[in-house]
Amino acid sequence: MTNEETKKIALDSLKDAILNYDTEEAQKAAQAIVDQGVDPKVAINEAVLGASTTLHERFERGECFIPHLVMAGDAMEAAGKVLESAIPKEQITSKKVVVIGTVEADLHSVGKNIVAMFFRSGGFEVHDMGVNVKAGSFISKAVDTNADIIALSSLLTTTRPYMREVIEEMESVGVRDKFKVIVGGGPITPEWAEEIGADGYGTDAYEGIEVAKKLLGIS
Amino acid sequence: MISLLDIAERTQKGRKMPEDAWNMSLFRKISELVKRYEIPNYTKDTPFLNLDDDLPERAFHAGVDLLVEHGVYCITTGRVVELSRDEVLGVVRESPKEILVGTGKDARVMKQRKVEGKEPLNFCPGHHTPFTQDLAPIVVKNFAQIPRTDFIEGFNFTEVDGHEIFGAPIEAYASRRQVSWMREGVRKAGRPGLSIVLYPITTRAEVLTAAIDPVDGLRSGDGILTSVLPDEKIEHDLLATAIAGEDCGLWRISGSFSMVGGFCGGADGAIVEGIAKPLTAMICYRAFVNYTGVENVSTVSALSIPLQPLNWARSVVNQTLNRFTNTICMAWIIPTSGPGTESNLLEVAFRTIEATINGANLYAPRHSRARMNAGQTPVEAEFMVEVSDATLAAGLDRQRGGELLSRLTQKLEGRQPEPGFTIQECYDLVNHRPSPDYERIHQQVKEQLTELGLVFP
Repeated sequence: MTNEETKKIALDSLKDAILNYDTEEAQKAAQAIVDQGVDPKVAINEAVLGASTTLHERFERGECFIPHLVMAGDAMEAAGKVLESAIPKEQITSKKVVVIGTVEADLHSVGKNIVAMFFRSGGFEVHDMGVNVKAGSFISKAVDTNADIIALSSLLTTTRPYMREVIEEMESVGVRDKFKVIVGGGPITPEWAEEIGADGYGTDAYEGIEVAKKLLGIS
Repeated sequence: MISLLDIAERTQKGRKMPEDAWNMSLFRKISELVKRYEIPNYTKDTPFLNLDDDLPERAFHAGVDLLVEHGVYCITTGRVVELSRDEVLGVVRESPKEILVGTGKDARVMKQRKVEGKEPLNFCPGHHTPFTQDLAPIVVKNFAQIPRTDFIEGFNFTEVDGHEIFGAPIEAYASRRQVSWMREGVRKAGRPGLSIVLYPITTRAEVLTAAIDPVDGLRSGDGILTSVLPDEKIEHDLLATAIAGEDCGLWRISGSFSMVGGFCGGADGAIVEGIAKPLTAMICYRAFVNYTGVENVSTVSALSIPLQPLNWARSVVNQTLNRFTNTICMAWIIPTSGPGTESNLLEVAFRTIEATINGANLYAPRHSRARMNAGQTPVEAEFMVEVSDATLAAGLDRQRGGELLSRLTQKLEGRQPEPGFTIQECYDLVNHRPSPDYERIHQQVKEQLTELGLVFP
């Protein structure tokens, strides 16, 4: 068996473990990759992020659901830790961090949950604040976690002004430039996003994550 | 029956649990119940309407066990509300099969129907959608003019008296204005006692309860929407509102459908949550009228017209609730296309036929990606009543109804949701009639449905 064939088997094992939502197997497969001397960065890009793409396609086809994305996210994190431990510290690029939640006075969670899981399985570190989240809480969490993106959800015309509130509060405490803000939800339009000064808007989870990557310069 | 104060107390004293842990624990418990009660999953041979008469009993026990073995989660306190089997079954036994809504000559009885029942359906045109202040009373008047309307649900808006709705004080004021505009609308329709249901401007308790006012606001005989949240969750503002509402004689209604793709898992798991959720609404909010069924997490974005497995799963849920509980089921007839389009009416017909045979009543909300003044017109609402009557007149049972739905599917497959038109573009609100173009589409769709076997008068 050639080195390339061995490498492919190892990467496929990791991808399969993630797609089987098996954290323990994912850890073992990641360790095997490290032990074989395969470049861990290649494993992250090909196996972990490759699994992420497959998961999103499965979700779109109704073949897996939010809890599966959670379990796959756990497996990815576990494998990621093993792989990152084998990368020289100076070469480690830290994960992009997303703080996400539904704005104040709004209890809708479903769309926000999907977007959160897409981010997580897409390799982001996600801090899900839940529903009915006040502007100050978003900002505190973003500061505490050194976030890259604040993602805001609203499903009511009467709660979407709280998206603007978050942005204005960011301005008032002098952190507007530190974080990108993306918005989404039933009553949210590109025009609304522009009006309130958000950096991006996504019609759905797929678009949301693409917009975020673009804003952060991730290919 | 367990009291709302008992529930409130348990939300303060139940065991603590992080929400993430609850979500995954719920998924595991539902998966376990699906296996224990052999709830089948959808296959390509599964019919549109459930024909397995044993399945509803198993599904009922799975729903009850979910509440008994896993409880309900309060997101406000992060605590689990635990329930005994006696408490859950007590609510199943003691909750009413019918309730009186509205007052005086305009009062109506909301009833539980039977699977394949022949009785006419209860009907609510609800707006659940944004309208502007200038249109609100006349839109309400038009919906109240539909003779079969049993109650009418409120709407949302973005401005009130020139002010953007933002923040609790203006939200509370907007809540009051919503009801007063509705009161004005039903009065103008000659039905002053028609029951009005408040649609939350936001779900803060102070905003919901601000509308309670025996003179011009919510009063005894009116209702309030207090929905159980996805994944078997409740919260304090809605519970506080339910307690205040009960004290003031307001009836409660809950959006209690489950969602395939969420933490309940697939269609099989959604059936279990779809049964547990209305029971949760009855236990935790004393909401005896429920929007029941199964949707999909992606339906809210209206990316495609949702068909199977949702139709079958909805069918199991409504058949179960009608056979084994006293839930007054309302089918959420929510198309993905906007008003003024053939797609909208075909989708409405599809879900109405399904609801009629499964024993649900009709709730006519907006379409799923509603825009300002473009959520719904009286045409789609009245059309639901026409289709349900035509379904009853055709004498369709589950077998024949399923076959008809299968043929109707062929007209919907491959279509993309259309945005549709604003209410002013396709409906004459002054003369209470559709635009000539919309009326032509309406008649054409009725002809198509007649060819498929419905019997319109």
